[in-house]
Amino acid sequence: MADEQRVTLKVGFAEQLRDIEVQLPAGEPKPWDARSELKVVGKPHPRVEAPLKVSGAAKYTHDIVPANALWAAVLRSPHPCAVVEAIDVAPAKSQPGVSAALALVKPGERVIFAGQDIAAVAAKTPEQAEAALRAIAVTYKPEPFVIDTAAAMQDGAPLVHRGKVSERSTEGDEPGAGGSAGQRGNVRTSPSMKKGDAHKGLRMAKVSHEATYTTQVHTHSALETHSIVVQWDGPKQATVWCSTQGIFSVRDEFAEVFELKPADVHVHTEFLGGGFGAKFGASAPGSRMGFIAGELARQAGAPVRLVLDRKEEHLCTGNRPDSRQHVKLGASVDGKLTAIHVVAHGTAGIGTGAGVGRNAFGIYSRCPNILVESHDVFTHAGPGTAMRAPGHPQGAFALELAIDELAKKLKVDPLDLRLQHDEHPVRRHQFELGRKQFGWDAGRKQAAALRDKNARVRRGFGVAASIWGDFGRGKAVVATVSVARDGSVEVKNGLQDIGGGITTVVAQVVAEVLQRPVEAVRVRLGDSELGPSVGSGGSVTTASVTPAVRAAAEAVKTQLTALAAKQLGRKPEEVTWSEGQARAGSKSIAWAELCKKIEGEAVVATGTRPETYGAYPVKFMGGNSYQIAGVQFAEVRVDTWTGVVAVERVLAIHDCGRVMNPLTARSQVQGGVILGTSYALTEQRVMDRVRGVMLNPNLESYKIAGARDVPRAIDVVFTPVDTGANNTGAIGIGEPATIPTAAAIACAVHDALGVAVRDLPLTPDRVLAALGAVPTRGAG
Amino acid sequence: MSDRAGITRRGLFRGIGTAGLLAGCKPSERPPTTTEDPGDAAGPGPGEAALGPGPAPLTFTLNGEAKTVEVAPNITLLAALREQLRFTGTKVVCDRGACGACTVLIDGLPRNSCMTLAHDVAGAAVTTVEGLAAGGKLSVLQQAFIRHDALQCGFCTSGMLMSCQGLLERTRGQKLGREDVEAAIAGNLCRCGTYPNVVAAVLDAAGGSA
Repeated sequence: MADEQRVTLKVGFAEQLRDIEVQLPAGEPKPWDARSELKVVGKPHPRVEAPLKVSGAAKYTHDIVPANALWAAVLRSPHPCAVVEAIDVAPAKSQPGVSAALALVKPGERVIFAGQDIAAVAAKTPEQAEAALRAIAVTYKPEPFVIDTAAAMQDGAPLVHRGKVSERSTEGDEPGAGGSAGQRGNVRTSPSMKKGDAHKGLRMAKVSHEATYTTQVHTHSALETHSIVVQWDGPKQATVWCSTQGIFSVRDEFAEVFELKPADVHVHTEFLGGGFGAKFGASAPGSRMGFIAGELARQAGAPVRLVLDRKEEHLCTGNRPDSRQHVKLGASVDGKLTAIHVVAHGTAGIGTGAGVGRNAFGIYSRCPNILVESHDVFTHAGPGTAMRAPGHPQGAFALELAIDELAKKLKVDPLDLRLQHDEHPVRRHQFELGRKQFGWDAGRKQAAALRDKNARVRRGFGVAASIWGDFGRGKAVVATVSVARDGSVEVKNGLQDIGGGITTVVAQVVAEVLQRPVEAVRVRLGDSELGPSVGSGGSVTTASVTPAVRAAAEAVKTQLTALAAKQLGRKPEEVTWSEGQARAGSKSIAWAELCKKIEGEAVVATGTRPETYGAYPVKFMGGNSYQIAGVQFAEVRVDTWTGVVAVERVLAIHDCGRVMNPLTARSQVQGGVILGTSYALTEQRVMDRVRGVMLNPNLESYKIAGARDVPRAIDVVFTPVDTGANNTGAIGIGEPATIPTAAAIACAVHDALGVAVRDLPLTPDRVLAALGAVPTRGAG
Repeated sequence: MSDRAGITRRGLFRGIGTAGLLAGCKPSERPPTTTEDPGDAAGPGPGEAALGPGPAPLTFTLNGEAKTVEVAPNITLLAALREQLRFTGTKVVCDRGACGACTVLIDGLPRNSCMTLAHDVAGAAVTTVEGLAAGGKLSVLQQAFIRHDALQCGFCTSGMLMSCQGLLERTRGQKLGREDVEAAIAGNLCRCGTYPNVVAAVLDAAGGSA
């Protein structure tokens, strides 16, 4: 292994490239940079696992049925708040097909949301398990509860938590977020983000804007519900299949719950049907699934499948908290922001994490005075959890719409106002690029003309910014690459592919280094015995895994180079590779011939990723990582008679460092835009304030966007950036892609109507209300 | 039930007959009967055999192969496919007809298998996602899905494919537009956001412009 080395890297973006010196740890391959000419990485490649997915052969946790497996079902609290006076699971045990029954609460315990675990059974069939639940006798003493965020903040509101509140954080949470600065009643204050003196800045302002913005509770609604299958292989050994974004988080939690050695818990997640932040650990955020399945399996002496139904998925597996954000902006007459003050309250139900992200703090960095105060408000509802860019879409919605409203008061173009305050060179570049490509100036004029005419059908153009960090993790992944005597190539890691396409990208990296076809690289993921890896949260996967894979592939190549040198009678440094052949002087040896010379079965090497080395050109605040830039433009059509908003076009311009696979990266951004559109227009958890239960725990009245509800056109543009952060230059894109969508749509609606709709989702009734109680009739 | 191809919710009720529906009601909820023998109201109609409550044999064609299985009469086609026959390509997402993930073809028409009782496909031809590839070769539609990246996590993909296959089969030779595909998959929810790529893939497979 070589000692530490200094290398020169060409970093930056577009025309703004420059050389920097980077100190590399021993053994670390020289990072791919703006000078690298790659043949496979960065080129579109169809998903390598796609044939399994289009033929129904891909096995998800829902599809796993060990021999003699039983079905579990969970009895859930019908009350939002009640004391359990008595519980008897014995009658369930004598029901047909039942092998085990388990009480999950004790008499005297208080349940604090409708949907909380009460008891569970395991039976031969799902029908028998459901039927057995009805035999369980529970006596509840209902207590007062509070569902509404505003009501929960009032003095005298029923208290949700009576003791200390513990924070459940996962790999889905944004690094650096969380913590508490005190609690009063149901209101728990998060540490505030502060710069300068926002109060003074507001007093000094000549132009100001102040308004309250609200967002709704949004459920993850991954298509594969939370599910876990447990099989005990011995008293202290278990095999667990779990629909999870974090194989090792499942292993560790399961081991802890049952006091096992982590190495004795073997976790499989070959495929998972989406996660969006809610699938970490052996439990769901609001249900002890790992314990339930494990304990039932132990008692029954048979494997147990615990597969939640759609209703349970809505009630107890997490959600994006709502928010009520009071935003105050101050500016000078010439349009310089003097202050941003955001006071946010949101409910994550019985959980924590209703903050509103760092949009205000990070994007408008030229504003001298910023204060963001976030509060969790506890209500008697299922816990929130990280959901695709936790805090950010709601924070971006309020702040960006407020900026738009301020721009209107200042009589300046909202895009110009943003450019005036944004210091990130890549985001500035993206704003300018989008202005041209989207037809911003002409569009705004068209919208104004339709407004002036008081036309029935209006057009509106909006733009919003995205901020996220390169949270790629060092020292977390160990990847193994091997080349066998038959010439086959295999790469292994205990990672899960959530659907972002990492399996293909891993194959591309190995193919690039070893100059093999992508199809010739066998990728094995989804198994905790394939080496440590990261959870797919925080958009860290590609940035954390690909550098380790490349390091392993390069180490294998070094060994193969030595072998080739020996075969060719030359020194290793004289050997070069091209088109999969090793050459030295006039002699060469083909891949298959070389591999036959491998001593033993295979050449094998592992690779890890060191800590991030650089953050060029802009750091994410409070850390040493690069700040990812993104902007989205939206064009909407609003019918002022019906109040219906349709999104015509979205232009999404994003940076994710080096784009590893443009085909799958584009899909991921498109998916972020579609999720954001759905959040902007239709999705909303509806609670019954009288009974304290969710009224739409299904997919017909909890309305997620279908094919005809999504933007008519979604254009994705990548602005590649070389940051010198890791050896592949990859950064994640899953989360940044959904941050600004709802904000851009809301700004476009503001442009169309001339008045802002300050509440998500932007439903027809709200649009009509913003226009006045009686819909305005078009002049024509 | 003569028209197997058209099993709809309404058709299903028609097929079961009023008697079958009434049989599910508590006696006190049943409207007064006009037949002379009230006992007949809950019995099978002419030409229909009574099933259940235990498993009863069911014969149908699955992906071109004749199958006979013992299925209880309250089991959905979806549950029978997944749990009894172990054809797990068809997915459970909402289990109440709202999301399309369980779509299969019944005599060529896309249907929610969660809303279809297994015994209602007696004698019918059922095609699942496992039946799309012929002789181990992926179909034109499946290949187009891969080329256009019309899948991410893959959980909606089986249902999407079956809705699109149904569209291709009933419009063979016709030129398709974007709206046709969007209408065909209007009942298929995807959470990853693959819709635009699905539309492009189907138009490509149909020989139209993507």
